Order: sequence, then C-alpha cells, then structure tokens
Amino acid sequence: MEAASISHGAAHAGEHHGPPAANRSSRVEPALLGMLLFIISEIMVFGAFFTAYFFIRIASGDPWPAHGTTLPVQVAGVNTAILVSSSFTIHWAQTSIKNGNRFGLKAGMLTTFLLGCTFLFIQINEYANIGFAPQDAAQQTIFYSLTGLHGAHVFIGLLLLLFVTIRSFRGHYTPEEHRGVEVPGIYWHFVDIMWLVVYTTVYIL
Amino acid sequence: MAAKLRAPGFYRAGWMMVGGALFATALTWLVRMATGHSTFQHFISPDAILSVSLLAVPLAFLIGIGGFDYWFYWAIGRPTRPEDHSSHGAYTWKDYFRINTDHKVIGIQYLVNSFFFLLVGGLLALLMRAQLAQPGSHFVDANTFNGLFSVHASLLIFLFMVPVFAGFGNYVIPLMIGAPDMAFPRLNALSFWLLPVAGMIMLGSFFAPGGAFADGWTAYAPLSVNAPIGQTFFSIGVQFAGASSIMTALNFLVTIITMRAPGMSFFRMPLLVWANFATSLLVVIATPFIAASQFFVLLDRALGFNFFNAAKGGDVLMYQHVFWFYSHPAVYIMILPGFGIISEVIAVKSRKPIFGYRMMAFSLLAIVGLGFTVWAHHMFTSGMAAWIRIPMAITTAIIAVPTGIKVFSWLATLWRGVLHLDTAMLFALGFITTFTLGGISGIMLAMVPFDIHVSATYFIVAHIHYVLFGGSLMTIFAGVYYWFPKMTGRMYDERLGKWHFWTTFIFVNLTFAPMHVLGLQGMPRRVATYAAQFADLNLFISIASFGLGATTLLFVYNMVTSWRGGPRAVSNPWRALTLEWQVSSPPPIFNFDRLPTVVGGPYEYGVPGAVHGIFAPAPAPTVAGAGAGVVSAPSQ
Repeated sequence: MEAASISHGAAHAGEHHGPPAANRSSRVEPALLGMLLFIISEIMVFGAFFTAYFFIRIASGDPWPAHGTTLPVQVAGVNTAILVSSSFTIHWAQTSIKNGNRFGLKAGMLTTFLLGCTFLFIQINEYANIGFAPQDAAQQTIFYSLTGLHGAHVFIGLLLLLFVTIRSFRGHYTPEEHRGVEVPGIYWHFVDIMWLVVYTTVYIL
Repeated sequence: MAAKLRAPGFYRAGWMMVGGALFATALTWLVRMATGHSTFQHFISPDAILSVSLLAVPLAFLIGIGGFDYWFYWAIGRPTRPEDHSSHGAYTWKDYFRINTDHKVIGIQYLVNSFFFLLVGGLLALLMRAQLAQPGSHFVDANTFNGLFSVHASLLIFLFMVPVFAGFGNYVIPLMIGAPDMAFPRLNALSFWLLPVAGMIMLGSFFAPGGAFADGWTAYAPLSVNAPIGQTFFSIGVQFAGASSIMTALNFLVTIITMRAPGMSFFRMPLLVWANFATSLLVVIATPFIAASQFFVLLDRALGFNFFNAAKGGDVLMYQHVFWFYSHPAVYIMILPGFGIISEVIAVKSRKPIFGYRMMAFSLLAIVGLGFTVWAHHMFTSGMAAWIRIPMAITTAIIAVPTGIKVFSWLATLWRGVLHLDTAMLFALGFITTFTLGGISGIMLAMVPFDIHVSATYFIVAHIHYVLFGGSLMTIFAGVYYWFPKMTGRMYDERLGKWHFWTTFIFVNLTFAPMHVLGLQGMPRRVATYAAQFADLNLFISIASFGLGATTLLFVYNMVTSWRGGPRAVSNPWRALTLEWQVSSPPPIFNFDRLPTVVGGPYEYGVPGAVHGIFAPAPAPTVAGAGAGVVSAPSQ
C-alpha cells in the first residue's frame, strides 16, 4: 500500500488513507461541468413555464396583457438595467481575484449582491402596486409565475452571492484557486440572461 | 443524549421534523392572518398546514439526518474541505442507515430501497386483482381502488424503476470506469435520502382525508386540481423523487466525463456506462418538465392560480403536453440502463464480443434524441390539433429503429456463442422475448386508428406491463443476479434463481397476455368493476397475478439467505473483462489500490490475448498478456 501510494508521485507521498486520486479524463472542471448541467435543467424548468405561457397567451388568442391591466414596462426596464449591470460587477470581482486584487473582489461581490437585492426589492414593489393578482385570470397567473419563478432564481443566486461575499471578506480565494467565485458567477450570469428572455417575452412583445 | 440530538442522525431528524410541522403551522397561520378576514374565514386551515408540512417536514428530516451539513458549514464561510472519506464504507448494517458517501453503499441503499417499494407496489397490484377477480365485487370501494392503481403506478415508476437503475449505476459505474468514487459524493448521499422521503409521502397519501390520490400516475388536470388533499402528496412526492434523479444524473454525467481511468476512451466504455450516460442526459433535460407540471397543479390547488381553469383562460391540454414531454422520455429512462445491463450479461455469458458495439452506443444516443419528439402519441384522443398526430406517429415508428438495432445486435451476439444459461442469462433472454412483444404492441399503438380504438383499455395496461415488467424488471433481475456476487461477496442459489426465472417468465405472460384480448374487446382500464362478459379472463388474470406475486417470494428468499450465508464469491466468477470484476468481491473500500490503465475494448471475449484493463503502470500494449496483474480474456 505504501509502495503504491509513493508511485503516484511526490504530491501524494504522505497520504495513503484515502483512495488514489482519480484520473482526470477531461479538461473541464467537475464543479464547472456540474453547474453547466444544472443550468440545462434550469433552462428546461423555464422551458416548461414558457410552454404554459405559449398555450395561455398564443394558443388561446386572449388579449395580452388582459383587459384592464397594464404592465410597468419602464420600471421593469430600469430593473433590467440594474440586473444587467450586476453581471458586469461580478465579472469585475472575478477579474480582480485572478489578478490578486482583493479589494476589487470584495467591492465587486458586495456591489453585485446589493444590485441583486435592489432588483428583487423593485420586483416585490412591482407586485404590490401592479393592480392585479394571479388569481384573476390565466394571463395574470402566467405573468406572476414567470416573473416569480425568475425571482425565486434571483433569490437562490443572491444566497450564493452572499456566501461568496462572506468568504471573500474572510480572506478565501487566491489568484490560483478561485473556482468558488467562478461557479456561482456562472449561475448569476444565467439568472441575468434568463431575465432578458422573460422581460422580452412578458413585457415587450 | 444531548450529543445524539445534535449529531446528524435519526434523533436529530426526529425533533427537526416536529419543528418542521410547527413551522408549517406558524407560517400558514401568519400568512392567513396577515391577509385578513376578507380572504380567509379561518386562520388555521388543516389543508394549508398539511400542504406546507409536506414540504417542510421532509426538508427538516433531510437536514436532521445530515444531508446538508457540509453546505451549511460552507455557507457560513468556513474553509472548503475536500470530501475526507470519513463517512465512507459500511462496517455494520447501521452504516446503511446514515448519510454515507461511499458510492457502493449508496448503490446498495438505492437497490434495497427500490426493492422495498417494488414489494409494496406489487402488493397494491394484488389488492387490485383481488377486487377485479369477479365483476361487481366489493373487496374495496371504487375510490380506494382508484387510489390503489394510482399509488401502485407512482411507486413503481418513481420509487422503483427510475431509482433502481440509479442504484446499479451508482454501484457499478465508478468501478467500471476505474474511478475511486463518484464526482460529488455528498450530493450522491443526499440524492439517495430524497427517495425514501418521496416514497413515504406517496404511501402516506392513503391516510390523507379523502383517500389517496386517485387519478392515476398521470394526474391529469383539471381532475387533479379539484381532487382531495391526497393529490398534494403526489405532487410533492414527485418533486422529491425528481430532484433525486436530477442530482444522480448530473453526478453520473460529471463522473463519466471527468473521472475515467487512463486509456478509457468513450469507445472503450462498457455499454452499461454508455446507457447510463444516455439516460442521465434524458433525466437532466426532461425531468424539470414534470417538476413544473406539478408546480402548476400545486399553485392552482394551494394558491388559486388559473393554469388549468378554463373559465379564466387556463389551458387544460397544456398539462398533458408538459407532463408527457417528461413522461415519454421517462419510459426510456426506465429501459435504457436495462439495455446496458443486458449488453453486459449477453456478451459475458455467450463469450463473444458484443455485436456492433458502436452502433449499440449510437442507437442509445438516437433514442435520447428521438425520445423528445414523440410525446404527443400519448394524446391522440386528447382533443389536441389533429394534424399533430401524423408527425408523432411517424417519429414513434422511427424510434423503433434504434431499439431494433439493439435487439438484433444482441441476437447477433448470441449467434454461435458459447451460451452459459445461468439465471442472469435466462433473464436476459427472457427480456429479449417479452420486451420485443411489448415493443410490437407499441408499434401497433403508434398507428393512430388502432390507438384510438384501444385507447384507455386494458390493451394499454398489457403494453405497459410487457415493456416494464417483462422488459425493465427482467433486466433488473438479470442485473441483480449478475452483480450479486460482486456486491455481497456471496454466491446466490443458482437452482432457486432458475426456478425464479421460469416461474416469473410463465406468470408474466399468463398475467399480461390475456389483457391484450380484454383491451381489444373493449374493457376499459382504471375501473373497479366491469361487464360480466369479461369475467372469465379477469378471473384467470387474477389467479395468474397471484402466482406472479408468489414468484417474488422465491427471489426475496434467495437473496436474503444467500446474502447471509451463501458460499463466498471469488472476485471474477463470470470471467468477465470489465474492471469491476478485477477487484475483490465485495470491492475494497476505495475500489482500487492503484488506478487501472485501460488498453483495449471491454468485450473482447474469445479473442486470444485481448486485454481490457491492467493494474501495472502502463506498459506498451504489445507486451500486455505477460506478467502479473494483467487481465486477459480467458480462452474457451
């Protein structure tokens, strides 16, 4: 056993109570690949909700938005700008840690987190003031469902961002080891791009 | 005691579940009070508390048993730590009842859990057959009968067919590709514990006011929206089972892509690994659709949304589209890993290279692709636009082609092979027979006029049981007998195994073949009684089904006694080439003391000097065959 572990190379010479290190048969990081596959699943969840949207809005031919309701396109547009800018600030944080700039990492993560919170806050305000409820008719149901599903994803993304922000303030991550910023970052970009799709289909078209 | 209450385990899960129920009560009470008397008459609503509890209590259980411990630890900003293997392995039976990160333990947890639900689901079926033995009998009332067939189907699909293959995959895939474990061991442990939770929720629906969910495993809206509270048990149970299969599939894909041993290229992977790769793609892409369909139902039921309320612009047909967009690929999720098992068994037991290895792999991928294009063939009589039927009938007929490629490739593998007709091989051959019969009735159902004629009759019941019982379950039995020595380190009783096969094979056909006739004569499915003209055949089916149930006892007896006291198994009783047979039975706790190097294909049986994997540091392939540690194909 000792001989076997030595033959694996100097890096593992001292440790032999665990299994031999797995062979890496792909250049892709396992954590990265896992996140990408998870995002495929997430896209399909949205796909199912868009199927419902298709049937309720297009197949039925009912008016959109329902009679007597208006959608706050401008407010949601400002909100879109806020969410899109958060994608840039998280990119700033990631670039900073790659270059060893800890201040940039902390400031970037904190800004991203606060921008995300602002988005969610405006979204909740929109619900409170929009003047209709999901129980009114199918159009309102799917409006709340799509924006609400996205809001739930923003919430999950914000939790991840919060954990990353705490970690960056506690001194984790180095220029060599920053997967912990990269992988939640991909999820945040996904949430952001998904909002562009939701905003376009629900508010603009 | 205080330490026990704090440490992950059943004690902590117990008090946390109580906490979850209290949380659900408080939450619904607060929300209803905040909304005020204009909306709600009573602030305490048993239905609302039960609905929220169904989410909160299982989550509390999972937290209590320790499924999320590491992520909580990570979330508060502690340094990451790689999986330290401290919860690896099983030394006593108690280790199977905790969060365990060893893929071999998880595989056995999956298998035993699945077979438990197979027995429960089978008992429910026997209760149904008791009711159907005579027309107009009152063994159970009609509502209970509806609950019986609904829970029967849901348990056997979501708690048996889908996870049992994940169990085989968990146990065998890392061994087959030469990996020490799965890519995400903690996620793997969590994904198992979601399953007993889902099963208990579904079984618990029998105790719900108004009875179990009673509209079949398809739970069509708007019936499911207006059904009693038992329906919520289905909608939420499916969420847990679905989350489990997505996690496992993701884990399989990452493991297969990133953790193969040196030299294990994609086209040197055993076909079981290929099959699980294809299945996992299906799961990752399709499963979110059933999750969403049940979200819709839950939102309609609990919060008064209008997805399926036609009076307010909702679309009922949309449920069927979303549901079948998952549930048709799901039938491939329930058979593709079985194809993989059969490929292993048939190649090993006929001592020949598998015929058309690459076509076998490509046909799996073709089924994955085509599987997403046929969903509406379940909806020919649903009232959807009539023109959709024709393209769906054509794609359905086309999907038989890759399946046919596989069947003929197995037959060609058998051709002039040296057949070892032991239990696993018998089940493989039985599978080819009954599955082909079920496939042929599937092609018949693809034809629109025929489908309209037999829609919602016993012909459908016959078809689904020929492909799932005669097909999938036969592959599962073949797999259990094939890997039993590897998993337990014991040999099973071959004589009892053969008895099990022959009785199963005969009673499957006696039970399900007459259902074709009943269906053609027009007996509707999902009814608690029927016209007197169908009485004779139904009595025959009921008697045969009790025989079929009895054969399972043979299997259980064989497994239990052999696991406890069977003769010790050698490391490679079948003289197989794939890597899992090159380690001891059962395998060492970390699978391999040193990683194998793969130098050839996995099925080169009967090829002189052929080598699949070696444990020595990789020499040039030309000198393989000499020296210790080299695995060469045993000659005939």
